[in-house]
Amino acid sequence: MIELKDVSKSYDAKTKALESLNLHLREGEIVVLKGVSGSGKSTILSLIAGLSKPTSGEIIVDGKKISKLPDHFAAAYRRDNIGIVFQKYNLIPTLSVYENVLLPLFPLNLAKEEMDKKAHSVLKKFSIEHKSDMLVKNLSGGEQQRVAIARANINHPKIILADEPTANLDEKLSLEFIDILRELKEKQRTIIVATHDPLFFDLDFIDRVITVAHGKVI
Amino acid sequence: MSSINFYLLEYAYNYIKRHKNKNIFIVLIFTLLVALLASLFFITASLQKELQERIAYTPDIVIQNYRAGMPAAITQKELDRVLEIDGISSGNLRVEGDYEFLKAKRRFHLLGVDPFEPSSDPFIAKLVDENEINATEMLVSKEVLQTMQKAYYSDFFNFVLEDGKLLKLSIKKSFDPKRRYDLHNLILLDKDTLRKIFSYKADEGSDIALYVANKNELDFLASKIRLMLPNAKVISKNDLKLKYKSLFNYDDGVFLSLFVITIFTFFIIIYDKANGLSSQEKREIGILKAIGWRVEDVLQAKFYEAALIALFSFVLGYLVAFVYVFYLKAPLLGKIFADESVLDIANFRLDITMDLSYTLLIFLLSVPLYIAATLIPSWRVATMDADEVMR
Repeated sequence: MIELKDVSKSYDAKTKALESLNLHLREGEIVVLKGVSGSGKSTILSLIAGLSKPTSGEIIVDGKKISKLPDHFAAAYRRDNIGIVFQKYNLIPTLSVYENVLLPLFPLNLAKEEMDKKAHSVLKKFSIEHKSDMLVKNLSGGEQQRVAIARANINHPKIILADEPTANLDEKLSLEFIDILRELKEKQRTIIVATHDPLFFDLDFIDRVITVAHGKVI
Repeated sequence: MSSINFYLLEYAYNYIKRHKNKNIFIVLIFTLLVALLASLFFITASLQKELQERIAYTPDIVIQNYRAGMPAAITQKELDRVLEIDGISSGNLRVEGDYEFLKAKRRFHLLGVDPFEPSSDPFIAKLVDENEINATEMLVSKEVLQTMQKAYYSDFFNFVLEDGKLLKLSIKKSFDPKRRYDLHNLILLDKDTLRKIFSYKADEGSDIALYVANKNELDFLASKIRLMLPNAKVISKNDLKLKYKSLFNYDDGVFLSLFVITIFTFFIIIYDKANGLSSQEKREIGILKAIGWRVEDVLQAKFYEAALIALFSFVLGYLVAFVYVFYLKAPLLGKIFADESVLDIANFRLDITMDLSYTLLIFLLSVPLYIAATLIPSWRVATMDADEVMR
């Protein structure tokens, strides 16, 4: 389903984030990318999400060459296929939980009833419905994490990318996040988690743990 | 951007609210600049209209005498000479001028009248027709009467003559000039009595008023008089019309300087805005792109945001200018224009006068520019990789 062929990525002449990386992920698979900071884990997620383009090589998702997509189509591809949970959540703190969750759908100009239905469905699923009218900046870290996950799932994406999802959470909240991942796995979502949190390495539902170092898969 | 996306519109509105302090400041400055520009246009348009109306009551040609470059009395002899020119149908020696009432720090305009010389101003002609003014009487406007009463002159007034003696005139009646603001400081009195006050001889006056039968010959006749009386200043009605028309044009001093200052300030704001976004604003665009917004979605939201601010400020600025000029009668700014003018327009009405071309000019100078200045930096950021923007 997701294939990275000989992918290299440089941010400038000196910094090579990835070097001739090859990776293949099947549909419904849950994969953990393990590695120290700066190893290239986040860059892999960024490339799969179409947030940046590889310097060379190809990224193919569902048979489509993502690496060649113009910006216009890359945005639509992200909206329809990808849910991203960022390390710092990347929520808009001065908007409410409800607005943050619906934000990806704003450009679609759907009917109000449909928007409400989608929002309530994900907010309920990730147990954050009771905080729906609160501003995100007034939520705890764990609650913000749930909002970020709810937002990533608003459009039922096939692929979920999580970048250091537990970096700002305590152990209890990290375990809660792992439970959410388990549920998503049961729904046949393809999930890639980039982390160096050991909690993820021995989980029974994780299909593969891939080590990334110096921009290469080891 | 073919149809309105109300979610993006709401997002834009919330964005403005979320950056309240910054946007209140922008709205404030924007409104102030639009108000200043609109006030300039309102005042000039209204004054021009008012001055054009006043021309209707002026004689076709006015001749003032100058001696050593200073205004001087003109005599019956000069009047008789110009009346001989073919095309001049009638004329009279006028006696009028300002009298400084030092005690009240007010200036009265004294106009000598003669029942056998009807005034070209119908209001004055009617007053003279209805009231016989003898040598010891005068008619005063109700504003003049109020000024005199404050100085304890309830039914008479003492004019100081050149030799220091006093000339006592009784107030026969007061009149209400209503919306004729140019007559608010007017005193009508017998022509010979006024000659005494201004120390004119019996055959002297302040200027000559001439009337011509064929208005097409006005300029030709005026130039003929100039040749006949080289020391005199000859002002035709056409000269006045031109002068009033160009008085507050774009190339006029006060208008130009205020206009340039306003536009300059506005461009500084636009330049500043067009030059970049804060890191927080950039990050927000990055997040929007990361969750699936296209460049055009970001730009549409930014367009709504800028349009809301610009249109609101434009309308508010216009309303402020309207109230300031037409209801409050443009304190300070109006005075600058009136004082700057070479004409006596100290008393002006500022009637509501709207010119759509001015409105369009202010709109084009402000709203589209502001929208462009908002869109350009947002477009720059939105076309970058989301990953790079959020980094």
